[in-house]
Amino acid sequence: MSSLKLDSKVPQGDIKTLWEDYKFNAKLVNPSNKRKFTVIVVGSGLAGASSAATLSELGYNVLNFCIQDSPRRAHSIAAQGGINAATNYQGDGDSVWRLFYDTVKGGDYRAREANVYRLAEVSNNIIDQCVAQGVPFARDYGGLYSMRSFGGAQVSRTFYARGQTGQQLLLGAYSAMEKEVAKGGVKQFTRREMVDLVVVDGKARGIIVRNIITGEIERYAADAVLLGTGGYGNVFFLSTNAMTSNGSAAWKAYKRGAAFANPCYVQIHPTCIPVHGELQSKLTLMSESLRNDGRIWVPKSATETRKATDIPEEERDYYLERKYPAFGNLVPRDVASRNAKNMTDEDKGVGETKLAVYLDFKDAIERLGRDVIEARYGNLFEMYESITDENPYETPMRIYPAIHYTMGGVWVDYNLQSTIPGLFVLGEANFSDHGANRLGASALMQGVADGYFVIPYTLGNYLGSEKLDKVSIDHEAFNTVEKEVQARFDKFMNIKGTKTVDHFHKQLGKLMWEYVGMARTEEGLKKALVEIPKVREQFWKDLKIPGDSKDLNIELEKANRVADFFEIGELMARDALNRAESAGGHFRLESQTEEGEAKRNDEQYCNVSAWEYTGDNQEPVLHVEELTFPNVPLTQRSYK
Amino acid sequence: MSDEMTLYLQVWRQKDSKSKGGFQNYKVENVSGDMSFLEMLDMLNENLAREGKDPIQYDHDCREGICGACSCMINGEAHGPGKKTTTCEMHMRHFNDGDAIIIEPWRAKAFPVLKDLAVDRSAYDKIIMAGGFIEVKYGNAPEANSMMVGKEVADFAMDNAACIGCGACAAACPNASAMLFTAAKTTQLSLLPQGKVESKKRVQSMIKKMDELGFGNCTNERLCEAACPKGISIISIARMNREYMGTLLKSDY
Amino acid sequence: MSWVSSYFASSVGKKSVMALTGLSLVGFLVVHLVGNINMLIGSDAFNHYSHFLLSFEGIYVLEAVLAALFLLHAFFGLMIAFQNSQARPDSYSVQTKSGRGTTFASSTMPYTGTIILIFLILHLFDLKFGEHYSVPNEEGVRDIYKLVLVYFSKPLHVAWYIIAMISLAIHTSHGFWSAFQTLGFSHPKYDGFLRKSSIAYAVLVGAGFSFFAIWAYLQHGGNV
Repeated sequence: MSSLKLDSKVPQGDIKTLWEDYKFNAKLVNPSNKRKFTVIVVGSGLAGASSAATLSELGYNVLNFCIQDSPRRAHSIAAQGGINAATNYQGDGDSVWRLFYDTVKGGDYRAREANVYRLAEVSNNIIDQCVAQGVPFARDYGGLYSMRSFGGAQVSRTFYARGQTGQQLLLGAYSAMEKEVAKGGVKQFTRREMVDLVVVDGKARGIIVRNIITGEIERYAADAVLLGTGGYGNVFFLSTNAMTSNGSAAWKAYKRGAAFANPCYVQIHPTCIPVHGELQSKLTLMSESLRNDGRIWVPKSATETRKATDIPEEERDYYLERKYPAFGNLVPRDVASRNAKNMTDEDKGVGETKLAVYLDFKDAIERLGRDVIEARYGNLFEMYESITDENPYETPMRIYPAIHYTMGGVWVDYNLQSTIPGLFVLGEANFSDHGANRLGASALMQGVADGYFVIPYTLGNYLGSEKLDKVSIDHEAFNTVEKEVQARFDKFMNIKGTKTVDHFHKQLGKLMWEYVGMARTEEGLKKALVEIPKVREQFWKDLKIPGDSKDLNIELEKANRVADFFEIGELMARDALNRAESAGGHFRLESQTEEGEAKRNDEQYCNVSAWEYTGDNQEPVLHVEELTFPNVPLTQRSYK
Repeated sequence: MSDEMTLYLQVWRQKDSKSKGGFQNYKVENVSGDMSFLEMLDMLNENLAREGKDPIQYDHDCREGICGACSCMINGEAHGPGKKTTTCEMHMRHFNDGDAIIIEPWRAKAFPVLKDLAVDRSAYDKIIMAGGFIEVKYGNAPEANSMMVGKEVADFAMDNAACIGCGACAAACPNASAMLFTAAKTTQLSLLPQGKVESKKRVQSMIKKMDELGFGNCTNERLCEAACPKGISIISIARMNREYMGTLLKSDY
Repeated sequence: MSWVSSYFASSVGKKSVMALTGLSLVGFLVVHLVGNINMLIGSDAFNHYSHFLLSFEGIYVLEAVLAALFLLHAFFGLMIAFQNSQARPDSYSVQTKSGRGTTFASSTMPYTGTIILIFLILHLFDLKFGEHYSVPNEEGVRDIYKLVLVYFSKPLHVAWYIIAMISLAIHTSHGFWSAFQTLGFSHPKYDGFLRKSSIAYAVLVGAGFSFFAIWAYLQHGGNV
């Protein structure tokens, strides 16, 4: 019944020369022909802006769409900690091979080796490129770059720009794109939300967008479509994602035929500011670089009521240092998050809600002095104080895990092309590179690598080898899709129920956190698969949207996204249920070691699960891409 | 929450850029001090939506003070009474029970109101387009550590690079001048060796564009610096002035 | 020469004209104030000082330069004030509180400037082009000393003069520092010093000139 086939298109040969060979063999587009091709880039984050800028520099016509009022506001801007590169500037034994090795291992052997190697290989070019754009990475007094070790890495390979690395990289990519806008190579469309994908003769040829200001539905045609639309973490309602971050673009691609891979892999970030109340709109992350100098602890006694500073040393449990002597507070994110949850489950949580653990800088301040700590984390400390009204120089921070990043996404091959020819997916929106768990400072690396260094070759190869007929926005396919889009928006407006979008979104979020969150069980996931559709049904029956669809209408925008979140959430639960093992960000209580660590089942699940849409109210079809690890031998992760 | 407040809001409502706007009064109850300013507005919007009324439009996205989307003039202060803060990071503990709060959009000829509190800040993108970049083409980058930059210079470049483009500087400026925004970018780029090469052209065209867009002339009133959520100093404006005047007197060769 | 015209059409270019002319006028005021000290020495000293200036050959050139500085400063100042009012067509309903950077002086520059302009015209009209008294026994020497005392014998004149000098002090208390800022002299190392100097200068000039007006008034108890 299904025609979908997963072909990773990884070239054969030695992994170290694969990408070189690929670039040599790739079809090229003649410079004078490039301007005849139009490419749509959806999203203006690191992946979107870097690819738009690069493709325009190469000579393609680029149409860039973003949901915010300016491309500079894409959520890549909020990444704090840093970006990895295998420069070995510190002489501490780093290399491309080590970065590759660490990333595969950190991803718990659920990523495609060839993609990861390519990522490690281009990582050094990224730093050069960004520095040339004026990104002010931190430097030593000697004038050379200063780097730090970051979550789970035993070498200092992370470049950073205070606690604002994502901002600086994004502004670099943004400025490169604005330069191209000024030259006419990129046309910039702001406050536009992609609401559907148009496929003509099996190839992605355009998109339908909604103009957020006027509510008009607009059509755009192109020779290829690139999605750099980020992850779907907001399915949980509370996450560290921005308010407009959503999974709709990727979801529309899924519904038009792109396989959706590993939706269950969600990263939970260990160092977020805890929830304060019911009306909270989002969670704030603090860079995990804080774990380099901060020590995580809880009181040994579950009945502890004293202030943190009054609890004596011997009554504190530095549980990460105790359980993982080699890595201590720098264990990977999933391990740190799960351990925090275990502590609060044992009722050792701290603060008013008891849903937090301490992150203490007292020792670091004594050892290094307040000035050094302020130089390293000053802005994070300020942010913490502004939110919680507590001074982290004097009293330990309270932290708790929060949904942060989604490793799953649209399935792509080595070319970053989805199962729909002409539809390429970059950055967090795709599933590749991070496997089941992303290492710290690797998201920025991947977004930029895809945009600056991979897509220019792979897109050229596609455009150079495919025969593409001219398609205009008057094509029948555009009419059909636009009608469907219009019908969907009319449907929202016509429900005329009694409850707001957020009401339903919060319900969905609670179900997801409860059953598809940090620790999952077969029973819970089955329950989620029953409960989510129930709430979704209510949503479609009882939703209330004020105002008009042909107008700026924030409730309508949200409704469109939340409708997709219901479906994404359901697929996440389905995928999590199917994967009866623990791997990275996916933890099944049934599959753990005696010490409570994630236990993989490589016999059955050393693969990628990619789901194919077969129609509303029909079960999606599972396709499997087997993974092999000839270069990084499979081992159980251990951070002891 | 024990410390709940009731607040009396006066919010600027304007249907679209062509309509005339006006203030409307709202009463918000059960506001906790731990809520952010936007969460307080969310609560109001949730009530409005439930009653079938048009919610208030305000720009916001990351809600952690870095994307630069949020932009409210709160009781005559850009981003509210806090120092070095954005509207999204402003917590309600800065207000007292029974307070009246007047919320207006950024106002400047170059920032037309789109709806309610949301304005069009594409003028800032246009200033960047005029030269707020380093003209390096993909693939041409030299090895990163081949350029050395002193730590103090790199740090000052970073101070300026921290700009989030929120528009508070122009909004707070009595003259609606965009000098701080423009100066932050020219300063960041011309301090670094890789950006120095084109610094003359950059400062000329960025200032020209800034003037064309209808921003006012700087009169050194320093409100921009006070409103800047990232604490960027007017020292950068002086630096840009110096650089610009230099273009009249100096030649590159 | 398009680069020159585009320079002076730009916001920074206009401001640099303001700063340069402003600083020159700041210098002129010091010279003027120092010259006034002759008044304290006596009528001869003052009249001879003024005669020396007037009989200097290049005086017309200097006067023309001074007038040009004033006119440029006033013209650009008014243009900037007008343009700035255009930059925000709809004003805020709540005005930003002082103390977040802006000062009374910085926000009233166009107003204090206008007062000074009016004062200046009257000042020239009343004194420079005022009544022509001659010093007895000295051919062609104008008794400017007498003119000053006569002029300031009227309390209204003294009051108006002091109002103008307060405006001048307010204007320069911002203008002095502002000119340096505009010209690019700003650094954490000396910015504080410039700000204090600005206030000190304003006090000196404002109080200094006002002193002479009051002194002149007191010379004859209001009766000449």
